[in-house]
Amino acid sequence: MKRRFTWFDRAIIAVTAFFFLAPLFAAAEYSARGYGDKGHTFSNYTWIVHQLGFSPALLTSLRIALVSVFLVMILMVPTVVYIHLGGRKYRRLVEILCLLPIVIPVVSLAIGAQVAMPKGLQSTSYELCCFYVVVAMPYVYRTLDIGLQSVSLSTLVEASQSLGANWLKTLTLVIIPAIRSSTMGALFITFALSLGEYTLAILLHFHTFPTWATNVSQENLYGSIAISVTTLGGAWVLLVLIAFTPRIKSLFARKERVI
Amino acid sequence: MLIADDRAVLTQVTGGDGSSRIKKFTFDKSVLGLLPFLLFLGYFLLYPIAAIVSASLHNNEHHLTLSLYGNLFSGNYRDAFIGSFKLAFYSMIVAGIAGALICWAVVKTSGVIRTITSSAAGVLANTGGVPLAFMFIAAFGQEGLITKFLLKVFHWDLYAGSFDLYNFWGILLVYCFFQIPLMVIIFTPALENLKIEWVEANESLGGSKLQYFRHVLIPVLLPSYLSACLLLFASAFSAFATAAAMSNGTIPLVPLLIGNLVNGNVIPSEANQGDALAMGMVLVSLVVIAAYLGLLRVTRKR
Repeated sequence: MKRRFTWFDRAIIAVTAFFFLAPLFAAAEYSARGYGDKGHTFSNYTWIVHQLGFSPALLTSLRIALVSVFLVMILMVPTVVYIHLGGRKYRRLVEILCLLPIVIPVVSLAIGAQVAMPKGLQSTSYELCCFYVVVAMPYVYRTLDIGLQSVSLSTLVEASQSLGANWLKTLTLVIIPAIRSSTMGALFITFALSLGEYTLAILLHFHTFPTWATNVSQENLYGSIAISVTTLGGAWVLLVLIAFTPRIKSLFARKERVI
Repeated sequence: MLIADDRAVLTQVTGGDGSSRIKKFTFDKSVLGLLPFLLFLGYFLLYPIAAIVSASLHNNEHHLTLSLYGNLFSGNYRDAFIGSFKLAFYSMIVAGIAGALICWAVVKTSGVIRTITSSAAGVLANTGGVPLAFMFIAAFGQEGLITKFLLKVFHWDLYAGSFDLYNFWGILLVYCFFQIPLMVIIFTPALENLKIEWVEANESLGGSKLQYFRHVLIPVLLPSYLSACLLLFASAFSAFATAAAMSNGTIPLVPLLIGNLVNGNVIPSEANQGDALAMGMVLVSLVVIAAYLGLLRVTRKR
């Protein structure tokens, strides 16, 4: 459904773009300033890479983010699909359970984790993945739920099964492509959340990229602004790349055939 | 396992209508499909919280007491709750309105622009903490680029009034930077589901734009809008990283107090006071959620 842009929409977009791009631009300009505000240089960016612990912290964060995304996909997509297909009576229960991670602030979850989790789990960073899945759950559920509401799921499943597909095929080749924008949204939010999450990481004493960046930022103002720009820009580029990979593009195309 | 269960349930739903009276007494197998989800949430969410609930009800002498909750109504703790509530409420209002307007424009885009905006919203909604703080210092700080720009071009001194990046209004501005994108993420799908047929139906029945807005848009969107606003409130209420980076302790906020207690920067008279504070936050959010569920029931009945 195509709708026309009005002057009102343009005004909204202009104001929004200013509000969000101006700080980014300002940060980018600051981060490229030379020592004593003289000229522009990339030295602040090379400074980041030479700080102790840069690559281990970044790799840890990326690993945690990927594992979290994977967990969300195998846990939440089947669950939400299941609720829409056969388990309608559990809808209310799951909705309320999915509100809980919002009701329960991350700070309190961190305290609880310290008390309750076994020592074996607390010593590996995979503990964070599990909690990131919990924290992302409300957003993931909502996005997937709204996506599934807009397709006639039972028709899709019947069609797929009458053509001889099993459940795994139906899920990955029919349902997920049909709710592509929702799935991508859920994936984005989990990935970005895991990369940038600070509260749980610092309170549970893990060394991830955000906690590392916070530590280093106390040494060099321009350098830490450079870190901010890199974090944001990097996450953005990564997500756009994910969105444009051929595999996912084929999902885009498939959607039009399914619906 | 899950897949096999799904199949079982489907056949049950399609074929087993007549046996509903007998089913009441048998174990309902369909709950097994939810088992992975329930187990995961139970272990990683409910179990840690149960541990806090238990701790918050015990004082230093390990006696069962409510006195730790009583402390929340006085002094620092009360101020922090009021501060957190105010910040969450204001940012909900601002981001709720601004975000909805932006969604309205965003749903009209498509293709590459859409991909970029949606991924941008995903990234921006999750900015926070020190990176976000430094970005705003670079832009809106005393020496910030935008502060200087506004002064030079519009002769508008941001800092002439009561504005300061580190007071309430400054933090509210910073919160908008992740709250508005969050609203866009949550609320866009609801707008996407609007059908063009509804506009046409309204026009063919002679309805005006205002009538379309009042009788179609608002009833359809209200539940999702309210739930989106609720998420905004909760997200601002419990934000820790940004508050920690921005306020330097000048603004009393509950998550900061809890963080201080956890890190041992402040030693409370009761060892479990932090747990009680955490539960206090949970209870405030529970009240909001209850109000929301009530509202939702009203709108669904209509």
